[in-house]
Amino acid sequence: MARWGMVIDLNKCTGCAECVTACKVENNVAVVGKDESEMGRTMLWMDILTHYEGEYPNTKVRYLPRPCLQCDNPPCTKVCPVRATYLDPEGIVAQIFPQCIGCRYCMAACPYTVKSFNWYEPHWPQEMAAALNPDVSARPAGVVEKCTFCVHRLQKAKEQADSENRELQDNEYIPACAEDCPTQAISFGDLDSPHSEVSELIRSPRIFTLLEELGTEPKVYYLSEIE
Amino acid sequence: MKNTIKYLTPVILVIALTGIISGTNQDVRQPISFNHKLHTEEVGLACVDCHSNVEKHSRALIPNIETCGDCHDDAEDENREKAKVGSYVSRNEKIPWIQIHVVPDHAYFSHRRHVTLAKIECQTCHGEVSEMERPFIIPFVELEMSWCINCHEKSKVVNDCNSCHR
Ligand code: HEC
Ligand code: HEC
Ligand code: HEC
Ligand code: HEC
Ligand code: HEC
Repeated sequence: MARWGMVIDLNKCTGCAECVTACKVENNVAVVGKDESEMGRTMLWMDILTHYEGEYPNTKVRYLPRPCLQCDNPPCTKVCPVRATYLDPEGIVAQIFPQCIGCRYCMAACPYTVKSFNWYEPHWPQEMAAALNPDVSARPAGVVEKCTFCVHRLQKAKEQADSENRELQDNEYIPACAEDCPTQAISFGDLDSPHSEVSELIRSPRIFTLLEELGTEPKVYYLSEIE
Repeated sequence: MKNTIKYLTPVILVIALTGIISGTNQDVRQPISFNHKLHTEEVGLACVDCHSNVEKHSRALIPNIETCGDCHDDAEDENREKAKVGSYVSRNEKIPWIQIHVVPDHAYFSHRRHVTLAKIECQTCHGEVSEMERPFIIPFVELEMSWCINCHEKSKVVNDCNSCHR
């Protein structure tokens, strides 16, 4: 059985935010207004964290794309009272929307703040409403959501492979962010398959994970910038 | 008295049944009284001739004027139901069928998976459609989660939440 993981090469990332847009469109992530946004209610499954270094004029900006880190030892699933979020057999931290009661314990438990709460009934500008992805549900108000590694793409890819009577191939299932990244900074695949791109990349000396010391064991890895 | 009851009971039953049928009929009334039995048995069409996506895609599709128009285009037909079809066809207007079997958007159901891969007959999930002379009013089975789960358990198919929900 596969163990899905991601490697984001910060040396290739330009901070263009194509992944953020691709994710938002792919997953029907709701758009909130300016006022709500200022209250911290912006909804993003993939975010770009920016970090400014140095004094003007010698400043440097660093970008870090941040989806759900899909921990192997996730703090969020342990606090869910209804098992709406749990580690699935292929290593994806599942978020079963109809099961969620909106208590938001998981949001508080996540050290990476990757989860968003639906304060409102989902709403899109008129131009976007017609372009909703039918493969992904629209989450109702009162439900917590986050990056699913585009699990709907896995469901379809498995069906396609089964209908051709073969195993799932490398790169047949990849999330929208990885697919759309113009600099190919995001790699995705089976960490347990010895020859997959990701399993080769995680052997790099540049590899690190976020807040490693917490023992959450993320399956989203980063390759540090080359100075 | 005994005899009156004996003779009246069937009458009352018929009246009651008509009430139930017409009652549910009003809940969802299809725009045209479509006859599956006639189109499959007499015209000889196969399910996939009309539900053209059923073997290769997740949605089966309910056919519309593009399909019906091959055989019906007379809006003046003396058969009122056929005239209705002809009228939609000649106006190039979609027939507003009401989909009866529906799973919510948070669950993934695929016909290809069940029809082509698992080789489950349409009847198992939809009943004897080729015997139906009237359109669908209610689903053949309540499409509850337990229905999916029970068959999966029997057939030793995964029941992980993340394999169906999205
Ligand atoms: C391959 C040809 C064919 C196609 C395609 C077809 N029909 Fe028919 N249909 C027939 C024939 C043949 C009859 C019965 C003979 C007659 O009265 O013309 C019939 C009869 C009917 C009737 C009258 C039924 C009755 O009980 O009197 C309706 C209503 C009807 N069709 C609707 C449709 C609709 C709606 C579609 C599209 C989803 C459709 N048909 C597609 C051939 C076709
Ligand atoms: C394992 C059960 C199962 C089998 C077998 C099955 N269906 Fe379905 N069918 C469903 C479910 C569940 C839905 C609701 C799907 C949805 O909402 O997306 C449905 C919906 C439909 C619909 C309406 C909506 C649509 O476009 O999908 C049609 C038409 C249909 N089925 C036809 C068929 C035909 C024809 C066959 C046989 C070739 C078949 N089904 C076999 C379970 C089944
Ligand atoms: C002539 C085209 C035609 C053929 C052939 C045909 N159907 Fe249909 N089917 C329709 C139309 C039109 C509807 C919508 C009206 C209704 O509900 O009856 C429909 C509806 C259905 C639905 C209900 C969809 C819903 O709303 O949930 C099922 C299930 C279904 N068909 C199965 C079958 C099966 C099984 C066969 C083969 C035995 C078959 N059909 C053959 C035209 C067809
Ligand atoms: C009559 C039995 C039956 C019913 C009812 C049924 N299924 Fe299935 N389902 C199967 C079988 C058998 C398979 C395995 C198909 C194969 O061999 O690929 C399957 C496979 C699946 C898969 C793919 C699982 C995987 O391998 O990842 C999904 C998803 C699924 N079903 C969803 C549903 C949903 C949703 C419902 C209810 C709306 C449902 N099924 C109802 C028999 C059923
Ligand atoms: C085989 C497919 C399948 C699996 C596996 C599955 N579900 Fe569902 N689930 C469905 C379908 C289909 C519905 C929609 C049923 C309806 O409309 O009544 C549903 C509905 C629900 C609902 C809404 C309330 C209800 O019962 O209708 C909840 C909550 C839910 N599922 C939670 C879960 C959880 C938690 C798991 C894992 C333990 C799970 N589901 C596994 C198919 C599945």
